[in-house]
Amino acid sequence: MPPPKSHKPPLSPTQRSILKTWIEQGAKYERHWSFEPPKPSPGSSIDSFIQDRLAQENLSPSPAASPATLIRRVSLDLTGLPPTPEEVAAFLADPSDQAYSKLVDRLLQSPHYGERWGRWWLDQARYADSNGYSIDAPRQIWKFRDWVIDALNADMPFDQFTIEQLAGDLLPNASESQKIATGFHRNTQINQEGGIDKEQFRIDSVFDRVATTGTVWLGLSIGCAQCHDHKFDPIEQKEYYQLFAFFNNQDEPTLKIFDQNLDVRELTQEFKQLETRIKAFIKDHASELDAWEAGLTPAIKKSLASSLTKILAIPKNERSFAQTQSLFAASVGGVGTFRELNDRYKEIDTLLNQGVTTLVMKELPKPRKTTVFIKGDFTRPADEVTPGTPGVLHPFKSTPHQPNRLDLAKWIVSPENPLTARVIVNRIWQQYFGRGLVETENDFGMQGTTPSHPELLDWLATELLAKKWSLKDIHRLIVTSNTYRQSSSNRPDLREKDPGNYLLARQSRLRLDAEVVRDVALSASGLLAPQIGGPPVYPPIPDGVMGQGQVKRTWTVSKGADRYRRGLYTFIYRASPPPTLTVFDAPEGFTTCTRRIRSNTPLQALTLMNDSGFFEFATALEKIIQSESLDAAFRRCTSRPPHPDELAILQKLDPLTAARTLLNLDETVTRE
Amino acid sequence: MHPLQHQTRRHFFSRCSVGLGSIALSSLMAAPAPKMRNPLEPKKTHFPAKAKNVIFLFMAGGPSQLDLFEHKPQLTKLNGKPIPESYTAGKRFAFMDSSHRSDLLASRRSFKQYGQSGAWVSDLLPHTASIVDDISIVTTCKTDLFNHAPAKLYMNTGSGLFGRPSMGSWVTYGLGSECEDLPGFVVLQSGPRGPRGGSVLWGSGVLPTTYQGVPLRNQGDPIVNLSTPSQITPTQQRQVVDSVRELNLKHLVETGDDEIATRINAYEMAYRMQTSAPELMDTSDESQATLDLYGIKDPKETSFARNCLLARRLVERGVRFVQLYDTNWDHHGGPTENLEKHLPPKCLDIDQASAALVKDLKQRGLLDDTIVIWGGEFGRTPMGEVRESTGRNHHIDAFTMWFAGGGFKRGTVYGQTDEFGFGPVENPVHVHDIHATLLHQLGLDHERLSVRSQGLDFRLTGVDPAHVVKGILA
Repeated sequence: MPPPKSHKPPLSPTQRSILKTWIEQGAKYERHWSFEPPKPSPGSSIDSFIQDRLAQENLSPSPAASPATLIRRVSLDLTGLPPTPEEVAAFLADPSDQAYSKLVDRLLQSPHYGERWGRWWLDQARYADSNGYSIDAPRQIWKFRDWVIDALNADMPFDQFTIEQLAGDLLPNASESQKIATGFHRNTQINQEGGIDKEQFRIDSVFDRVATTGTVWLGLSIGCAQCHDHKFDPIEQKEYYQLFAFFNNQDEPTLKIFDQNLDVRELTQEFKQLETRIKAFIKDHASELDAWEAGLTPAIKKSLASSLTKILAIPKNERSFAQTQSLFAASVGGVGTFRELNDRYKEIDTLLNQGVTTLVMKELPKPRKTTVFIKGDFTRPADEVTPGTPGVLHPFKSTPHQPNRLDLAKWIVSPENPLTARVIVNRIWQQYFGRGLVETENDFGMQGTTPSHPELLDWLATELLAKKWSLKDIHRLIVTSNTYRQSSSNRPDLREKDPGNYLLARQSRLRLDAEVVRDVALSASGLLAPQIGGPPVYPPIPDGVMGQGQVKRTWTVSKGADRYRRGLYTFIYRASPPPTLTVFDAPEGFTTCTRRIRSNTPLQALTLMNDSGFFEFATALEKIIQSESLDAAFRRCTSRPPHPDELAILQKLDPLTAARTLLNLDETVTRE
Repeated sequence: MHPLQHQTRRHFFSRCSVGLGSIALSSLMAAPAPKMRNPLEPKKTHFPAKAKNVIFLFMAGGPSQLDLFEHKPQLTKLNGKPIPESYTAGKRFAFMDSSHRSDLLASRRSFKQYGQSGAWVSDLLPHTASIVDDISIVTTCKTDLFNHAPAKLYMNTGSGLFGRPSMGSWVTYGLGSECEDLPGFVVLQSGPRGPRGGSVLWGSGVLPTTYQGVPLRNQGDPIVNLSTPSQITPTQQRQVVDSVRELNLKHLVETGDDEIATRINAYEMAYRMQTSAPELMDTSDESQATLDLYGIKDPKETSFARNCLLARRLVERGVRFVQLYDTNWDHHGGPTENLEKHLPPKCLDIDQASAALVKDLKQRGLLDDTIVIWGGEFGRTPMGEVRESTGRNHHIDAFTMWFAGGGFKRGTVYGQTDEFGFGPVENPVHVHDIHATLLHQLGLDHERLSVRSQGLDFRLTGVDPAHVVKGILA
């Protein structure tokens, strides 16, 4: 019976008798599918699962896509970059299975693989470069972004990838890199508005960490149990706060990162020694400085740098060490021993104090007390809880100490966990076909959709474990399948029988992700600066977009190669993100994003036609039309030769108009 | 002929300003019925609607209801005395650790009753006083959050968290748009800075970005990237649109992918927007009398008054939801935002134009179809705040908003607050109730207008029960 509060009518006698008959006929109580371990299907393949199902529906798979379509598809999917005309030509000369498999290996080895799939992960990590809320000051956490790219390029097993991000700081002798990885959960917002209750927003960020962990690794809407027992899934509010307890004991420090080639300890020691020697030197030569100061005429004073005149205005005994040091260096200490000491001092100062920082996690020596909050309201604490995991899932092994994030991370990647492997392979699948085998990629609970191909999902999950959590192996499995290699063209029979393409009798055409729209235009126009990693960059953005929030932020356009870097390196202010990216549905990093929307709007058309960045790419493509040919430019955009009638349309245009047309084609911004 | 094919053909004949090449057209006829999808196509309402459009005048920062609408003699009498503890026990306020105080602060404004309804309005809003018989004033609005950005999000999205759809997005998602050459949801701004929270206030959250608010800017391009690059002639721009369409159409025939049809539509609308948005912004066809009604001194200069006029022009063109933000309503006291010096000019900025908008819509017969809302993210405390000069802290228990047109009652004051205006004594109206009422007037059931994400059916009104406020509906 529905609970009285739902105001739903009770079941009718007929409905009740159906239920009764069903039970009498031997209906078994079964746990929800995703809480049971994946069932292995030895000897199967992606294609066997897909084709068996198609046969049941009397449908046939589509033929393979043309070699040109295929190399563009797989290059975009694995690296986010289109193939070069030479790469296309080489593959077209030999489109055999062996050549395709070599192509896949080459792409998986490409350092751009880490960029493409790094962005996939950064969406889930809600990565951005500012603090969010109303003040939205910039922050430095790009070392975490680079860590993700590097880890994926090295094919770090997904279990280790998980442990380092959730608890790298708690690993024995944690390396700098493992600490950087904990930036995952520092991608929460920080409210710097006046008049706030800081504890309220600290707790909000812990709420976000719990919900994000649940969504990203377990595919469960655990966040729903923040205010009450989960309405649909077997997760109690108390269990929510047991998970909360793992994330409630952190300090949130900033880690300073030095150049890897520096011996920080030795330099720090030398720095201290130098300071002592400089102090002693100044003391020994104090009379010289006094004499110099006494000899200063107003005319000489006028000629001095303003920083020095300011120091001179301060009484001698009130000057700081740095002030006296500057004065000494600028006057009597300009040559000889002092100069040598001072130059070295400044050099080390620069090396040690102008490094990069990144946000990391650190466990508090003494855990905070965690309680249930009534209705999720932090001003209403109730029963105290200790760290623990939801009872509906595999057991949490007891530990001699109070369990911490490391224990939680190990629990998540335990082979007994029925969810994580399924959730991750599903989210990989979604990138290739536009939709996961479980359509609700962030909800494997009771309210989620059931898998379209449950055995295939389980098979992929067991393969991930069998391949020791290697993501590259899963990518290879998928992209070498015939299912992946099919044509994406629609067919009259499929339009009728499977308009949503759930059965995968064809591939799907997918509009490129926001960053890749930029990357493809940069590649086509020959402007792309392909270097990997480093601080975020500031490509041109339209005037006035930085003034929408409370604080107007500056945007100094990057010079040189940084103007033409890939989209994932563009600086993202959460409160005023770059319009050319958001217009194509790039997330702003407020909460975890496990699937991007693919909208199709007039503002996208205005961007591709009129944005100064895209216009600049068009002028570069215009030069290619002039120096090479229209045919060459067309190939750079679509990876295929134009049909004669297409060429005829373009030949009527001046080269710049033709270039702009090419960059605006649906085909250019779509993976077919 | 297949009905969809027919529709497609008619679409091309009716909407494309330049004829299609015969090759493209003939191949389209042979195509397997591609469907032209426009996500902003007008949709059916849940029940008959009373209103079609919304204009929300958002006073960002939190206007002081106690100096504008709430006449409280007791507050004046007990000026400087502490507020009885029974009012504040267990409550949290902003700036608890610094400037928040519990002494009552009398208003220095003089109040009078106006119109048939006898609504109280202070001397700061003489023009608003002149329209009290056209509006519903609600003095018992309540919200849950007392910091600016979260409270603004709450008023706009029904949640203090980032990433939820704003009400303008919900409305365009639920109703589509009746304007074919402008976005369905438009945002206009005035005041010295952008509102706290920025673009998420008009973001589409879990809804497709098709439904997000598009800021119309008064400087530079009215819409980001609206203008054709300066080096490009109008002929060249049209050539791009035409040749992109021709090539896309060929590819549509080859692939049978409806998304290409949607993109063809999008390019046509983008092209139309390039003309229609500058036309909208060019107010030179407005009479001097109209400019005077709104109090627009220089029609080229950004002002709240000009934005009100633009709001009317947008609604005339069928734009569904228009939101105006006017910033700097945060009168805490202190050198830059106090009640003595800074509230009066702020009121001068908005009073005449807000009233003019209602009058102008009325005289043009647009008010029946259009809901006008006036208010901020919260109100201000009866207690004064100790900074260098007088001000009031953020207050969420009771604040004032007004509603006009679109089936709202004319000439009513709804809700009753206590002797200090601290909290409601009857008819509290929660933000979620405001949202439910707004959607109701537009023909949408707030419980049925939902979208699934992260295991939840997201609604503008959240999960707790929300009520349509029948007492302010005609």
